[in-house]
Amino acid sequence: MTVRLDADGIIHLDAVCGIEDAEALLRHLLAVPAPRVDWRSCTQAHTAVIQLLLVARPCMDGPPKDSFLARHVAPLLGTAASG
Amino acid sequence: MNEFIEQFLIEARELVEQGTVELLAAEERPRDTAAIDGAFRAFHTLKGSAGIIDFAAMASALHVAEDALSDVRSGTQPITAELISHCLSCLDQVTQWLDVIEQTGEPPADAHLAAEAVVALFAQAAAPPEVATPVEAASILDAWLETFSAAHPDLLAAGRTALLYRPDEDSFFRGEDPLARFRDLPGLLALDLIPRGAPVPLAEIDPFSCRLSILAVSSEPASVLAPSFSGLSGQVDWRALGAPAAIAAAPSAQLLEEQIALLRGAQDEGFFGRKAAAVRAAVNVLRAEGRDAEARKLDALNESRADVSPLIDALRRATSTALEHATEEPAASEPAAPDIAARSLRVDVERIDALVRLTGEFTVLKHAIGHAVATAERGDTQSLGPLLKAQYGVLDRLVSDLQHAVLNIRVLPLRHVFQRFPRLVRDMSEKLGKPMRLVIEGEETEADKTIVEALFEPLLHILRNAADHGIEPAQDRAAVGKPGTGVVILRARRDGDRLAIDIEDDGRGIDTARLRSVAVERGVASAAAIAALTEDDAIDLIFAPGFSTRSEVTGFSGRGVGMDAVRTAVERLGGSVKLESRPGHGSIVRMTLPFTIMRTDVMTVEAGGQVLGIPLDTVVETVRVPRAALSKIGAAQAFTWRNRTVPLLNLSSAMDLSTASPSSSDALVVIVVLAGQYSGLEVERLGERLAVMLRPMEGLLAGLPCAGTTLLGDGRILIVLDLHELQL
Repeated sequence: MTVRLDADGIIHLDAVCGIEDAEALLRHLLAVPAPRVDWRSCTQAHTAVIQLLLVARPCMDGPPKDSFLARHVAPLLGTAASG
Repeated sequence: MNEFIEQFLIEARELVEQGTVELLAAEERPRDTAAIDGAFRAFHTLKGSAGIIDFAAMASALHVAEDALSDVRSGTQPITAELISHCLSCLDQVTQWLDVIEQTGEPPADAHLAAEAVVALFAQAAAPPEVATPVEAASILDAWLETFSAAHPDLLAAGRTALLYRPDEDSFFRGEDPLARFRDLPGLLALDLIPRGAPVPLAEIDPFSCRLSILAVSSEPASVLAPSFSGLSGQVDWRALGAPAAIAAAPSAQLLEEQIALLRGAQDEGFFGRKAAAVRAAVNVLRAEGRDAEARKLDALNESRADVSPLIDALRRATSTALEHATEEPAASEPAAPDIAARSLRVDVERIDALVRLTGEFTVLKHAIGHAVATAERGDTQSLGPLLKAQYGVLDRLVSDLQHAVLNIRVLPLRHVFQRFPRLVRDMSEKLGKPMRLVIEGEETEADKTIVEALFEPLLHILRNAADHGIEPAQDRAAVGKPGTGVVILRARRDGDRLAIDIEDDGRGIDTARLRSVAVERGVASAAAIAALTEDDAIDLIFAPGFSTRSEVTGFSGRGVGMDAVRTAVERLGGSVKLESRPGHGSIVRMTLPFTIMRTDVMTVEAGGQVLGIPLDTVVETVRVPRAALSKIGAAQAFTWRNRTVPLLNLSSAMDLSTASPSSSDALVVIVVLAGQYSGLEVERLGERLAVMLRPMEGLLAGLPCAGTTLLGDGRILIVLDLHELQL
């Protein structure tokens, strides 16, 4: 499972998050009133996953492992690369 | 030249032709996927064959065109006139290369420059200026660029291309990951994601529907980026940053710009290699444009190991002059008339097999004649006669089969010459700014190779005239209530043993009053003579040598070669040409030509002691008419045949041969039909039916009303009449 909701209420994105993870992510995002996503170990995320994050605007724990995501996508999700 | 290259040339030319035909079909019927597929395959195969002979430049030029077509196939790009033009230009370039290879056996050394120009052409197409971009996309891009440039002026300055990619909503279902394409996008400087459509609350979102627009800025030109988006659904809109207008004007300027960008790059360890490559490329571009002095200067600067900045300065200057060059000569190249003469003939294997079979039968006959010779030597004259007679029968059949087989090899459908015209009409339409369309009918009509090939020039000239003088500009057409697009019809059909070709346009027709006044002006004939001409004869003035109603020379007609050249060419082939006009409605040029100039079935007759041949297809029947039934009408004679009055012509007097006094009480008459008119030819004796291979009349005899001559079995010369020429 590359998308999991931990006991601490933080949604973790691990390694390669594919299209099949989008639905699980949506479920988790809806399950928590103020979702928080940790994608520090994420190496790749499908457009569908990013799209959900853009709409949900969760608090992001980063930066992600992947430089493309860190440099180009993370700033769009409202978290500085260092944040 | 080796066989390998020869084969390559034959195939490549065919593929170029096929590609052209399919491209034009695709333009005409944008929904015809078969045409696009066909064009794609032609380009693909051409690219492959270029690879086989190791002609990398040709392969790379074809590759970009193939890519563009592949996008059209997959539906990511629409078919535009521009795209078709670019693909056609690519094929033009290929044809030029093929010509060079044919002459020298080698691909041209500077081919890579031309290939780069083709690539640049497609790069512009991939980055169309606002015109081709839908308003919505353009405004999104513009608005975004504005905000973006305010936030990151540095990034925008380094950027060459901005793009807006809007994947289809169902792109996820197609297994696409739009964002992933940007991961490895060359020179990616900035990226932005904008949700599309009305904002949806998270609870109602469909996670599998793509509702994002992706915007990006890259330091690479669109040509480099475009491949990353091939095969994707949705729409990519490009915007060249910097000076897009200048780039569009001069591919060479763009190439120079690219070298400047290289020189400005980071001066890391690979820099010297890149610098050398950039300078070499720039020098090549300048040389290709004939600007040797500047090229030498650049070379010297490079040799002197000077700092990069003087090099960049020199290139900047060169770029601006390249732009001037481009504006000075706005695409002066006129589409060259392709060489029509087929260098080789593709023949159906069956036709060759027929020849092989015939060869076998001839061998058998040779043995049989050897047997007859032996019989003759034995002195057995009794059986010799029937033997020779039988063998003559066989030989007769074989020779006629052979004639038939050989002529069949030479027969080509008119498609061979017709298929070149849609392209030319398209170019003319573009250049003259008059929308027009060519309709071709009867392109499968067959005729002798000599005729088909010789038709190209006259037809081209007539089509140019129709496009240039016949079809009116769109606004004039609208003013008189005609559809905006002019139509030119090229129609071919068999008419007996003759080939009829009509070229019809729906333009303004011929202004005979103007023809007359110009004819007087040019001194074609005296004013009185011209005024006395009937309307039909006045139209014929257009065929008078050196006649042209327009003094203004356009790109396509009016080069001083008038319609008289057309008439000369057609008549040389044994045909005739005339023009009909309906002022305001258009004009028709009608040509009739012999089907073959080689073989004719004739009936031999004797008149004035001379054996003459009459083409069998004109002969209706032969009759004996009692002299008492001949009635005199003025100096001429006529008789009644099947309830119609038929004029009678004495063949010997018509041919100025010695006339024998009419001895018999009946006149022997051959009734012929010409253009629907029946006439009788009085002859002295009827001969036999022959199939003859005609030798055209040459030299002093060329002007005679004869289709040609052949030798009879007894050594006498048979003159075959051309009844079209004989004044009946």
